[in-house]
Amino acid sequence: MSEQEAIARAQQGDAQCFEALYGLHKRRVYSLCLRMTSNTAEAEDLTQEAFLQLYRKIATFRGESAFSTWLHRLSVNVVLMHLRKKGLPEVSLEETLEPQQEDGPRRDVGTRDNVLAGSIDRVNLERAVESLPPGYRIIFVLHDVEGYEHNEIAEMMGCSIGNSKSQLHKARMKLRDLLKQSKAEKAAGRR
Amino acid sequence: MTCAEFQKVLPYIIDGGGSEEEQQHLESCHLCSDLVADLRYIAEFAKLLVPMEDPSPRVWTGIEKRLEEEGGRAQPARRSS
Repeated sequence: MSEQEAIARAQQGDAQCFEALYGLHKRRVYSLCLRMTSNTAEAEDLTQEAFLQLYRKIATFRGESAFSTWLHRLSVNVVLMHLRKKGLPEVSLEETLEPQQEDGPRRDVGTRDNVLAGSIDRVNLERAVESLPPGYRIIFVLHDVEGYEHNEIAEMMGCSIGNSKSQLHKARMKLRDLLKQSKAEKAAGRR
Repeated sequence: MTCAEFQKVLPYIIDGGGSEEEQQHLESCHLCSDLVADLRYIAEFAKLLVPMEDPSPRVWTGIEKRLEEEGGRAQPARRSS
């Protein structure tokens, strides 16, 4: 049975086909929830909620986009709704309006060997993303990991495109600092 | 153009765009060009963070239970054939 057939049957109420769709998409939905929350229990609850919403809304899927894209967007909205209820700052407008100390020009002291290229691995980057402040982490995950454009993020988050770009930049800068720190610690450990 | 001026606009030009002056600064300043290289590298590497984990089996168990509870109240909206 193809995914298209499973979708059509799930839309008619076929429970087994719905379970098949769960099997096909659970990993991506869960990974998204986990990266956005950095909390396993929360991510599992949100994954559950996303699929419950899928169950309720699947009949409204018209095939205008790929099913995975549609489900992904639904999942992002579930996570964002949850974060809003928690009162977590998704995007802090204040940070973009008031200059911070860290906004001074970066004059990293060091040789050209200090560049990151070739020194990142997946584990280090995952750890660094986990330790980002929530607002930065959400924007970074949505844009750089999941591939949403700034205009889409702005619409989802209720912020301006400029704000989305600014927050993404700060997220990347923070990650850069964390990864350089990790690189330095690793080098020091070898001596 | 100073590094401060360049880095102030960097969030808005890093993924495309930028004036000739900004491009010239980037080409002539190794500090800013290293910074941009690092940020672009992070962005590119992020695309490789593929989904790696499945949720625990309790997630599906929870879904089944909720659907049973909701059973009569919230049937999936059936698509009219």
